[in-house]
Amino acid sequence: MSHLTNILWKEVKELLTGQMIASMLIMVVFFVIFGSVMGNVQEEAISGKTSIALLDLDGSEESQRLTEMVGSQGNIALTVVSAHGVEEALKLAEGYDSNALLVLPEGFGEKIENMDNADVEVYAIVRGLGIMDTMSSTQAQVAISIINNILAQEYVKKAYPDKEPQSVLNPIVPKNFIFIKGAINEGSPEAIASLLMGQSILVPVILMIAIMFAGQMVITSMGMEKENKTLETLLTMPVSRGTIILGKIGGATVVAFIMSIVYLAGFGYYMYSLTPSNSISMPALSMGVIDYALLGISLFLAILVALSLSMLLGVYSQDTKSAQTMILPVTILVMIPFFLLMFSDYTTMPSALLAVMFAIPFSHPMIASRALLFGDYNIVIAGIIYMTLFSAILWLITVRVFRSDRVITAKLSLRRRR
Amino acid sequence: MIAISVEGLEKNFGGVKAVDGASFSVSAGEIFGLIGPNGAGKSTTLRIVSTLLQPSNGSVNVFGHDVVKEASEVRKLISYLPEDAGAYKNLKGIEYLNFMAEFFAKNREEREQMVKRAVELSALGERLNDKISTYSKGMMRKILVARALMIKPKLAILDEPTGGLDVLNAREVRDTVKRFAKEGTTFLLSSHNMLEVDFLCDRIALIDRGRIVETGKPAELKEKYKAANIEDVFVEVIS
Repeated sequence: MSHLTNILWKEVKELLTGQMIASMLIMVVFFVIFGSVMGNVQEEAISGKTSIALLDLDGSEESQRLTEMVGSQGNIALTVVSAHGVEEALKLAEGYDSNALLVLPEGFGEKIENMDNADVEVYAIVRGLGIMDTMSSTQAQVAISIINNILAQEYVKKAYPDKEPQSVLNPIVPKNFIFIKGAINEGSPEAIASLLMGQSILVPVILMIAIMFAGQMVITSMGMEKENKTLETLLTMPVSRGTIILGKIGGATVVAFIMSIVYLAGFGYYMYSLTPSNSISMPALSMGVIDYALLGISLFLAILVALSLSMLLGVYSQDTKSAQTMILPVTILVMIPFFLLMFSDYTTMPSALLAVMFAIPFSHPMIASRALLFGDYNIVIAGIIYMTLFSAILWLITVRVFRSDRVITAKLSLRRRR
Repeated sequence: MIAISVEGLEKNFGGVKAVDGASFSVSAGEIFGLIGPNGAGKSTTLRIVSTLLQPSNGSVNVFGHDVVKEASEVRKLISYLPEDAGAYKNLKGIEYLNFMAEFFAKNREEREQMVKRAVELSALGERLNDKISTYSKGMMRKILVARALMIKPKLAILDEPTGGLDVLNAREVRDTVKRFAKEGTTFLLSSHNMLEVDFLCDRIALIDRGRIVETGKPAELKEKYKAANIEDVFVEVIS
């Protein structure tokens, strides 16, 4: 066994404890359960009927006719309630599990007949503050839209008996196309935005998970060495500092890789559960083998930078407890481009912000995940070169620190500074 | 043959002078003790000899190799046991010994021989198959001493080798040190247990505020200062 393999083996044994394996499994189970539950709730919200109660205080022929027409719509489950007032009607509606109560006031029918604006009171019944709860309450507006549409069609029919009401109400029917990467694709800009969001959010999430785990592993490993006072012994072994660093980073990478794969499998299932079955695909926005290879290199280099940075920060940890907080600067550097790119694109960012983002090495795989979709290879290759240089410089600094007293005395100097 | 040669050694930590012009030499096969109170510069000196820290001034040679310029050569000859050292808690005792032996052994046979020696030295028996996190302080020190000596180093550097041990365990460690010294290993150790040093060391150096204030054989020093023990010698020298 070489010295490198020996250190690598020790690192994996030290880091991959029973507790860690258990916590990994718990997280995966959580993702699977949460994904299944959320998927079912979303499916119900999309495909299920809107449950609405209606109180007709007008009692006119017109109001009854409209009530029947609303009730005959396939996506509405209408319950007509009889009550003396709104409060009583609301209690009844709540009992029927309705999401909203529509109240047709007195004089409603007359106003409709005269083609005047008629009021309809809409009471959204909110049972919780969850996204799904409020979403179902807003669906009461669907019923209003349906009533408006029915009445508008009737008015048009009266005015233009020989015309199709829909062609008068919506004279223009748009047919959406998207011109991207030199090819024309059928689809709306909204659909492409959601597709891009789905594709470009995955890389930052993978990167965040991998960097946080790998970085935490390296820093924890250093913290454990310092806490258990094993680092001093290890540094007096007949093995080069470079081998020790490589072994520690390698061991942490193996453990982080296992953790990332397990977590991502869980996260992937969770995301899959939330993806609607009718989502679109666009061949022009798919990546080829070279694109994936470039993205892989970019991701690998970003992780390498994170590991080297974590190793450097780990030198300043005193024990496993202090090591937990040492990962914060790395996490912040990942979060900045993550949020910046979530709300804007690098092509439209102000120069100062763009400079900050380009300076952060972790931005580049996130940028690459978008740039590759649009065939912008220059920015991807530039990012790869930048990260290679960045990690090489970090590596040299880390080896230098390990060859100096600082690896032993870093704690001392920190204390003095306080 | 000179095992360790320290000349005008100085070590500064910012404005603090931890070692201030220390000079001494240790012959091969000798048990040499650095004696002094807490913060006197014992551990810093041992760390410099162990290649962990670099001297601010002066020179340190181990069997003719400079600890700064030829650190990798020095590391092949030494075995260092830090004060209050621990071991990798998630490894089993036997895994830890194998891990450490791997750095020195040229082949599998040699590694097995080293581990076998450590198993005998530690006398932990079946407990070596348990995780180190379950070990008591005495057991931990035993496995660490065994680790330090299993490679039969030319120079063993032990910082407070019996620190925190009970009488019986401390005695076992002292006996082991004596036995290995007879077999040719040179020892540089530190202690603030003056009675232990009196019993164990061939020669000692008294260190105070980073300076070597006296060097000699325990018996000669006691005679020189007409003292009953090394503790009295130390008090006499310091005053």
